[in-house]
Amino acid sequence: MASRTRNAIGCIVAALAASTTIGAASAQNFDWKAHEGETITFLANNNPVATAILKHQDEFKALTGIDLKVDSYQEQQMRQRLLTVLNARSDEVDVFMTLPSREGMQYAAAGWYADLAPFTTGSVAADYDFDGLGKALIDAAKFDGVLTGIPLNIEGPVLYYRTDIFEKCNVEPPQTIAEIEAAAKTIKDCDSSITPFASRGLKPALPYTFSNFLHNMGGAYMKDGKSNLCSAEGKAALETYANLLKDYGPPGAVNYSFYQLTSLYRAGRSAMSFQSSNEFPSVMEGGDRLKDTAIVPLPKGDGGSVPTTIGWALTISAFSENKDAAWYFVQWATSPKMQAKLALEGIAPPRQAVSQDPDYKAWLEEQPLRQQWQKTLDELATTGTSEVGFPIVQNPESREYIGQAVDQILLGEADVDTACAAADEALNALIARE
Amino acid sequence: MQTAKGQLAALGAPAVVFTVAMIAFPVVYTLYLSLVAFSATGATSFVGAGNYVRMVSDENFWNGVVVTFYLYILSLVLQLIFGTALALMLFRAKRLPGFVRSLFISPFMMPPVVAGMMWLVILDPSLGAANYILTSFGLPPSEWLASPQWVVPTLALIDTWQWSPYVALIVLGGLQSLPPSVYEAAEIDGASGWKRFWRITLPLLLPTLVTAMVLRSVDLLRFFDLIYITTQGGPANASLTLNIYGFRTGFEFFQLGYASALMVTLSIIVLGVTLVLNRLRHAVAW
Repeated sequence: MASRTRNAIGCIVAALAASTTIGAASAQNFDWKAHEGETITFLANNNPVATAILKHQDEFKALTGIDLKVDSYQEQQMRQRLLTVLNARSDEVDVFMTLPSREGMQYAAAGWYADLAPFTTGSVAADYDFDGLGKALIDAAKFDGVLTGIPLNIEGPVLYYRTDIFEKCNVEPPQTIAEIEAAAKTIKDCDSSITPFASRGLKPALPYTFSNFLHNMGGAYMKDGKSNLCSAEGKAALETYANLLKDYGPPGAVNYSFYQLTSLYRAGRSAMSFQSSNEFPSVMEGGDRLKDTAIVPLPKGDGGSVPTTIGWALTISAFSENKDAAWYFVQWATSPKMQAKLALEGIAPPRQAVSQDPDYKAWLEEQPLRQQWQKTLDELATTGTSEVGFPIVQNPESREYIGQAVDQILLGEADVDTACAAADEALNALIARE
Repeated sequence: MQTAKGQLAALGAPAVVFTVAMIAFPVVYTLYLSLVAFSATGATSFVGAGNYVRMVSDENFWNGVVVTFYLYILSLVLQLIFGTALALMLFRAKRLPGFVRSLFISPFMMPPVVAGMMWLVILDPSLGAANYILTSFGLPPSEWLASPQWVVPTLALIDTWQWSPYVALIVLGGLQSLPPSVYEAAEIDGASGWKRFWRITLPLLLPTLVTAMVLRSVDLLRFFDLIYITTQGGPANASLTLNIYGFRTGFEFFQLGYASALMVTLSIIVLGVTLVLNRLRHAVAW
């Protein structure tokens, strides 16, 4: 028995040694010019992440000799184009950007993603360091064991607040969700020209910020295969989020998404703004808010602190005819070297090692607020969840019903029980349809 | 002779086939899609009239019909009034410099997406210029696009700002073709300016106005860009037209079959309204 165990261990050690040797050999044999002269098409979301990558696209051409054809659209138009192309099983798009927390399960179920796992062990440059990518983000991009994307950034909603207004109104920074409401009330009484609290109210966009409230308050979207939105915690979260916007939010909060939130906060018109960490460079544009802002994760609730942590990923279409060349682009864009460059443009790196990069460290040290931003992102990376909306294939549609429930309470069209019951009915029907 | 005709037909055939295919294929394909259901993973199954039956009990569909017609009628009425007024002004002010005329008609040359972004900024309840102006005059601020009650009138006003000049151009063409002898006779009879407008200009302009109505109706019933940029159907479905609902159902929620059924229904509505207006055009022809 002991001998059989020893043999088995021996076999495993030999296999591991062989795979390491093969891996090392493959890394050594790796040639960036292997696909020189080929052309790949990249469908990009015209957001800061893609913009930062595409600034360096000439370097990709010089390194690999691969021609990169870029189709760039706004987020919703990009998805519209993807739906048309991938539904037709067309090979028109080789690489595209995806948000695993939103469409990951849906696209994976439709078989639209190529499995990237074999690429990460097969054709990789010696300095790629796949294991250096944030494990939580890699896990969030795995569906039924298939690795659907490589993370490009890490992001999540964070609380930007005005230290000068808090000081003027003699308010302590909130430590709990309940204290946000108390702080907002004090600020409203102290300075009526300032919006005390702002967050997303636009129906399809608000689940991104609302999910953090739900999880911090101890709620979960599903329980025993059914909607759990009407649990005590769910109702409390719906009521708290909607009432914060109703009582202390900006006029027209129901149409607020990232654009309005950033404009309002940058103009010095809101005291607290709960919005994406990605907006940090835009919020700080002009420098007016650099000296009077602090950034923290959403304060904890009865369920503790469970921040929302997501990220864009690069992926290869299952129908691409140029998967190998496409992988070279994915690898180049998600390499430690490129992600260190992107970090200098405010794209939060999904690799721990990048935050130790000397250039990036120097960039952070230029402004104390940048360090706070990075510290908050580190916390998001270690404690966050990527659950935004229901963990079902029809996640995008589930967000619609969550948004509708919040907006009905916010607009005073329904109380929490009525809004929640209507959402629950629609959500359970959606789950049943799946 | 017959051979020559045959040769001509043969030469023209590819173009005819191409044109028919380009028109017919999307229509036939959409009709086919409206009869199938797409699962969450993109698999399809034939459901016959199932998607149309689903529409009957779908609250969002009926809300979409109401919002579509509310926005259509309000916008059309406003555009006909302002377009006619602008045309009369341009017709009378014959010495108006060219660039002023161009300025008056310029809004409709602006892409709707740009117009949407511009108005989104102007009408922002906190930072926008519109509320700043209202409050400067001591008037209460409005939530504009964020108010379920005001969102449709606000969209109608934006569309009126953009498309009244287009209506004005059509009406201006009509005004220039009116027979001057009728006006001379009215002037000799001592008819006032207001009377001439009600009794002569407006009745004679009716065929032109109905043409403008037909052209605007097709666009207004398919209202999309401006809503997509500004409200995406909100707040709380208050601006969810059939077109926006169909788009979101298809491209955001993956239900291409149901979305196609919604679009087929919308196309039938557009066709029906156009046919009614065409009949009206014949009735008012002179």
